[in-house]
Amino acid sequence: MKYLVVGLTAALAALSSSAALAEGESIAVFTKNLTNPYFQAVRVGTETAAKKLGVNVIQYVPTKPDSIPEQLSQVEDVIVKKPNAIVFIPVDYKALVPAVEKINAAKIPVTNITDRSAAGDFVAFVGADDYSIGLAVGKRLLDAMGGKGNVIILEGVKGSLTSTNRVRGFNDALKEYPNVKLLASQPGNFQRLNALQVVENLMQSFPQIDGVLAANDPMAVGAIEALEAANRKALVVGINGSKEAVDLIKSGKLLASGDFNGFIQGCIGTEIAVRNLRKQSTPKEVMLKPIVVDKTNYAPYEVPVEQRTCPTLEQVLAN
Amino acid sequence: MSILTSETLSSRFTLSGNVMQTLYRVLAVALLCVALTALSDVFLTANNILNVLRQTALLFLMASGLTLVILTAGLDLSIGANVALSGCLAASVIKITGSPLLGIATGVGCGFIIGLANGVLVTALRIPSFIATYGMMWVLTGITYYYMAGETIHGFPPGFRQLGSGHLFGIPVPVYFMVLFLMIGVLFAQRTTWGQQIYAIGANPIAARLSGVPVERRLVLVYAVSGAMAGLASLIILARINSAQGDIGEELTLPAIAAVLVGGTSLFGGSGTVAGTLIGALLLTLVLNGMNLLQINSSWQPLATGIIILLAVWIDIRTRRIGE
Repeated sequence: MKYLVVGLTAALAALSSSAALAEGESIAVFTKNLTNPYFQAVRVGTETAAKKLGVNVIQYVPTKPDSIPEQLSQVEDVIVKKPNAIVFIPVDYKALVPAVEKINAAKIPVTNITDRSAAGDFVAFVGADDYSIGLAVGKRLLDAMGGKGNVIILEGVKGSLTSTNRVRGFNDALKEYPNVKLLASQPGNFQRLNALQVVENLMQSFPQIDGVLAANDPMAVGAIEALEAANRKALVVGINGSKEAVDLIKSGKLLASGDFNGFIQGCIGTEIAVRNLRKQSTPKEVMLKPIVVDKTNYAPYEVPVEQRTCPTLEQVLAN
Repeated sequence: MSILTSETLSSRFTLSGNVMQTLYRVLAVALLCVALTALSDVFLTANNILNVLRQTALLFLMASGLTLVILTAGLDLSIGANVALSGCLAASVIKITGSPLLGIATGVGCGFIIGLANGVLVTALRIPSFIATYGMMWVLTGITYYYMAGETIHGFPPGFRQLGSGHLFGIPVPVYFMVLFLMIGVLFAQRTTWGQQIYAIGANPIAARLSGVPVERRLVLVYAVSGAMAGLASLIILARINSAQGDIGEELTLPAIAAVLVGGTSLFGGSGTVAGTLIGALLLTLVLNGMNLLQINSSWQPLATGIIILLAVWIDIRTRRIGE
């Protein structure tokens, strides 16, 4: 009987996924939204790695950005389809724990990248930590200011882990520079228009702003536009290492952007998932070093993500 | 059933009925200004006043077209998504052709067509406006995301940027747009037959139809106007932030609806003014400006905005009852 069931299952599996098997294992990739270039870089990273390793990736993205219920139901759909492995970014690190538990119960190996899930069994976690990036990019700005002057912080969406950790990094950087004064820390909701208007308002209160710490690149762009329109000058830093940020670094308008390395996270997350499937050894955790992109090192970031090549796991671990 | 002519309509829905409502709002804005002046020494400076007006202009442009829709007892939930698609298409056209004029035509044209489509959904297909424009919001968002694929379009010609960040005689360009469309809106709503017919549709669509108002055509018109205004607003946003991304409209719909409601236009239709919407937009902008100037902790800001909206609408309901 047992053999019969196994045989039937195998036959069904062969029927249903014969095409997929011929082309290699299938990997379902979960990202948070279609709007943030960061997740686009992650998706391209997973696809680049997949091509190299001979596997198929299928992308799952909520149509409403960062929608918890939508990602939950996408996970349920994927469990029914039973891919060989999953690469997972939870839209919320706590709210998606039940979904992770369902994946675990279905015995589909899952690799967690970018945002660390609060619970669940994972093959590995690949990420960069927001706090260290905030700290590094913050120090870069405060150094450039000569360790003195006035700064403002543009926070992201209040209550989001990303914003909280990046801003904590900024604040800890400020502690190391006692001669820099924090004038205000206000929310720009990760949006350029909001950030632009907040900076316009803050410029009314503060005749001298020397530096702006923005928790992502779009807000840094908003700040730059507000300052330019008012004929004021300040050094601005953002986070994401996006194409737009690199253009602005080149033209001297943006001092630096912390690189969250979505492309490499996509590459390495996929590579670990595949290695695990092929019974090769995998590390339990890969934390990418914070990189601050500025005038001295922007060149590699000018290459569009579609044309980049994935580093190997060994190369990343050696760094 | 008596036949309503346009004369009897205009005597029923004149400005005077709304004057008290408007005065209360002006008083609320004045009180807020007095409080902010007392708390912040930079609030009442020429620079900050111009700054607040420039920010109000953007919100008002979106909310003014929406006011007409809400006057007919409808709703347009697609304006934020409309801003995103119109803005992204306009941005591509400017980037590809280098012509700001073509970009402007694309932005307003796209917004207008989306509005027309909403109008058709609401009239010809008889889908309730809440659902029709909610569905449209998703359709537009999908198209925008697909079109932009997570990319950003950045850097527009200086001439185009004048629309958003330029000055004329020391006053920001968007403020001229605000004044222009305030005048057009008030004249249209209060002084033209079409405007009066819009009030009549909102107050009682059956009576309006019986009195000869072409209800369907007027409804298509208000949705088209709302769409075109969203298209225009998208251009000012592009010019201000010098870039376009798929999510630029994300946080714009609800503040625009709030501006209309805080401005005293009833969600049930037939009552309210475009001038009221300007005051609503001003009030909401002042609250955010004040919180930035006073560096209120970011956790408290949504709470404060929520309380202001509830308070404004509550006072409105109270004063209406006293009026009756």
